[in-house]
Amino acid sequence: MADELYLENIDEFVTDHNRVVTYKWLSYTLGVHVNQAKQMLYDYVERKRKENSGAQLHVTYLVAGNLLQNGHFCHKVAVVREDKLEAMKSKLSTIASVHVYSIQKALLKDSSPLYNTDYDIVKTNLQHCSKFSAIRCAAAVPRTPPDAPQVPEPVQSPQRQRDPDAAINGHRVRAAKPPPQQHKGIMGMFAAKAAARPQDTPKEAKAEAKEAAGVSAANCKPPTKNTIMNNFFGKAAMNKLKANSVPEQPKEEKEVVKPSVAVAESESSPNTVAEKPGKKTESDRIQQKDKKSKTKRVDRSDDEEERDPENVKKKRKRIKQLLSDSSDEEDVPPSPTPEEERVPSPPPEPALKTELEPASTEVSAGGRKRKRKRVLKSRMFIDEEEGCMVTEKVYESESCTDSEDEFPKTKAPAPQEQAMLPTKREPKEERKNPKKGAAPASRANKQVSIMGFCQKK
Amino acid sequence: MFSEQAAATAQGLLAPPSAEPPTFPRVAVSGYSDCSQPFQLGERSFARQYAHIYAVRLAGMRPGLERRARSRWGNDVVLRRLSELQEGEKCCVVGTLFKSMQLQPSILQEISEEHNLVPQPPLPKYIQPSDELILEDELQRIKLEGAIDVQRLVTGTIVAVYGCEQDNGRFLVEDHCFADLPPPLPWSGPSSDRYVLLASGLGLGSVSGEALLSTQLLVDVVTGQLGAEGEQSCAAHITRVILAGNLLSQNTQSRDTINKAKYLTKKTQAASVEAVKMLDEILLQLCTSVPVDVMPGEFDPTNYTLPQQPLHRCMLPLASAYATLRLVTNPYQASLDGVRFLGTSGQNISDIFKYSSMDDYLEILEWTLLVGHISPTAPDTLGCYPFYKSDPFILTECPHVYFCGNAPHFQSKLLQGKEGQRVLLLTVPDFSATQTACLVNLHDLSCQPITFSSFGADSEDGDMELEH
Repeated sequence: MADELYLENIDEFVTDHNRVVTYKWLSYTLGVHVNQAKQMLYDYVERKRKENSGAQLHVTYLVAGNLLQNGHFCHKVAVVREDKLEAMKSKLSTIASVHVYSIQKALLKDSSPLYNTDYDIVKTNLQHCSKFSAIRCAAAVPRTPPDAPQVPEPVQSPQRQRDPDAAINGHRVRAAKPPPQQHKGIMGMFAAKAAARPQDTPKEAKAEAKEAAGVSAANCKPPTKNTIMNNFFGKAAMNKLKANSVPEQPKEEKEVVKPSVAVAESESSPNTVAEKPGKKTESDRIQQKDKKSKTKRVDRSDDEEERDPENVKKKRKRIKQLLSDSSDEEDVPPSPTPEEERVPSPPPEPALKTELEPASTEVSAGGRKRKRKRVLKSRMFIDEEEGCMVTEKVYESESCTDSEDEFPKTKAPAPQEQAMLPTKREPKEERKNPKKGAAPASRANKQVSIMGFCQKK
Repeated sequence: MFSEQAAATAQGLLAPPSAEPPTFPRVAVSGYSDCSQPFQLGERSFARQYAHIYAVRLAGMRPGLERRARSRWGNDVVLRRLSELQEGEKCCVVGTLFKSMQLQPSILQEISEEHNLVPQPPLPKYIQPSDELILEDELQRIKLEGAIDVQRLVTGTIVAVYGCEQDNGRFLVEDHCFADLPPPLPWSGPSSDRYVLLASGLGLGSVSGEALLSTQLLVDVVTGQLGAEGEQSCAAHITRVILAGNLLSQNTQSRDTINKAKYLTKKTQAASVEAVKMLDEILLQLCTSVPVDVMPGEFDPTNYTLPQQPLHRCMLPLASAYATLRLVTNPYQASLDGVRFLGTSGQNISDIFKYSSMDDYLEILEWTLLVGHISPTAPDTLGCYPFYKSDPFILTECPHVYFCGNAPHFQSKLLQGKEGQRVLLLTVPDFSATQTACLVNLHDLSCQPITFSSFGADSEDGDMELEH
């Protein structure tokens, strides 16, 4: 009988799982209206007490009503333990409502378990937090896409699940896109990449391809910020940056949209643009090397060297020059620290695990490789048009073998453990990794950079 | 307010589950218009000096004050500028007050090397018996003495003084007057009970978590999860929630980057990041159920100078997807269902508190209304944008509800003006300290505080003493 089912459920939660069962938690778990949940709790308490008067059951109640205080009436809403219920009721001049707030086995010393239970259950149900409430608001609809800023943002929609009322699937993806996009605009590459990377595998290739195209055509603000950051930190620090995904995009796309820009694109259109499976596995390898989403120019240049002949590299260099010029004047973006605080949501976790398995084999087989590094060098040439000599600072690829390869090897076992660890530990481990990568890198390059001081930590 | 209507079904939920429980539709907003355009700054340029704001303030308020002076001291009262003053002649002068205070923090003194001063610690009040009042108009200034309360008044107030200049060069004041209540707005409030909930000082991100459950209870009452059916149906009449500032706690303001060595702070995140995430979740819960107006406050991530610009919606990605979320300026002015609301997050009142002998927030609130200016101490002691075209803080119309946030306690008063003005003065208490919010009934401009409490590790009897 459906009536008895809820009693059994509550019994199971309270006695077997030793949970604090609040009305809100019960309402979300059983999918019932909050008032029904309150009544269910009351019913359970009554029956249990009738059967077994010595039952180990503690109840908290919610009391609300008018209270005369300092000469005026104030409406008081209080959560009280059962033993104080009558005292509170007698203090109130008019009682507006009384109902069961929660049931638990143990006597609660303070109300923080109640708060935590409610907080957790609401957190996991954020997209429909008013579903079981007693009040419906007709005005509370998500903003229509034209209202949101017109910036394409492919990622973060699984994290930001909005109101299920936006029934149409495409509509929902749209609605989810713009708000994360604002995030991107402000936090620049960090926000975009951190979210993008976890969203990689769950996304469909088609959706991603569309969005990738959109993103490539989109504003250059985050990408230019990225270049600035790279400029600022210098080569040594760049090694510290973790690659989100390898530039899998075809190099044509990269050339069209300046290479440093590709940082943002590469992650926004990661392995889902599954044109080259070889690239994908490589991206996995690199991706696995550095958990979080920071671009690693080394890797990009690495791929390019492997794939592109010399002439293409030269073409890229020129474009890069122009970009580095324009980007010199802009401000330095904030330090990468906010990145590490972000905790990947549960969906990325299994995705990450699946990526790690195939990738780990690759790494062990990879061995030492010559890496191409981006080095800031002064280049002088004569500008025929204006008849002058131009000295420019450009990033040039320079090959060097460095002990950075220790990094992927240590990463290989580590990420696998990491995937099993609870999410909270991840930021800490990831933080350790860039330091590991930075230290050998800086040693190898023997180039003093302003960030070298900080990296020693 | 709620209690009487809800009392009938109070114990209704102490029963076995019944048939499908009712859901109440939220009362729709019939008329809302945002009137805070003067407080919204577009392109901001700080290249101007602050003298212009005083000039436009005086120019804007002079006609009203002259009218007031004539009605008070007779139509034939002589109105003079300071430059036209004649010794011994009884006349009326309109000008800006300046209070010279010895204890007023001065940045020039602090950084002056010849004084070798230690920076003065912040005091609760900076008034001293030796303070002096000086009246300034467009060209000159003169010291005031006589029937004028030096301790009570603050810099930046526009006043009309009646008296005469003495031979020692000071102006002997016999009487003075202010702009008084601005002209009333027509009343077109709702015909049935509609409530607006005002809360301020949520204080998220603070180290202590006591207020967290109370905040959750507040959200639950408004969204209709808490309470028996009667209370839920009353809560459905809440048409709006206004959060008047200080959504983040003062603890999130710690600037370790200034004090600590860089290698210690490198990997730490600002406390406000976590607090803003919490705020986003709370606002999401509210926005799915009720329109919310969020005003920034002293500790919120927006600009420091008044008028504070709205929080950027990129910080609240979950909640800003809903059209019910409105991020508004501080001060905020809007017309809800025909009732004009005007209020601030409390910085103006607390600044006047520091430089005046007035102790009661409600008294100061009323005084700003009588003076005709929301924040006279800006820009002297309170940061302000250098306006030069017009001063948006001058009160030109009398609002129906005038509130200030982050007050130490809840206070309210219905003020009746001579010209038919009816204003509800409201000091919204700091929620993180008092766990109290305010419910205003738009129908009859009555208001009631609503308090939340839970049981803590200390005795429950302490609950009653929480709200003074």
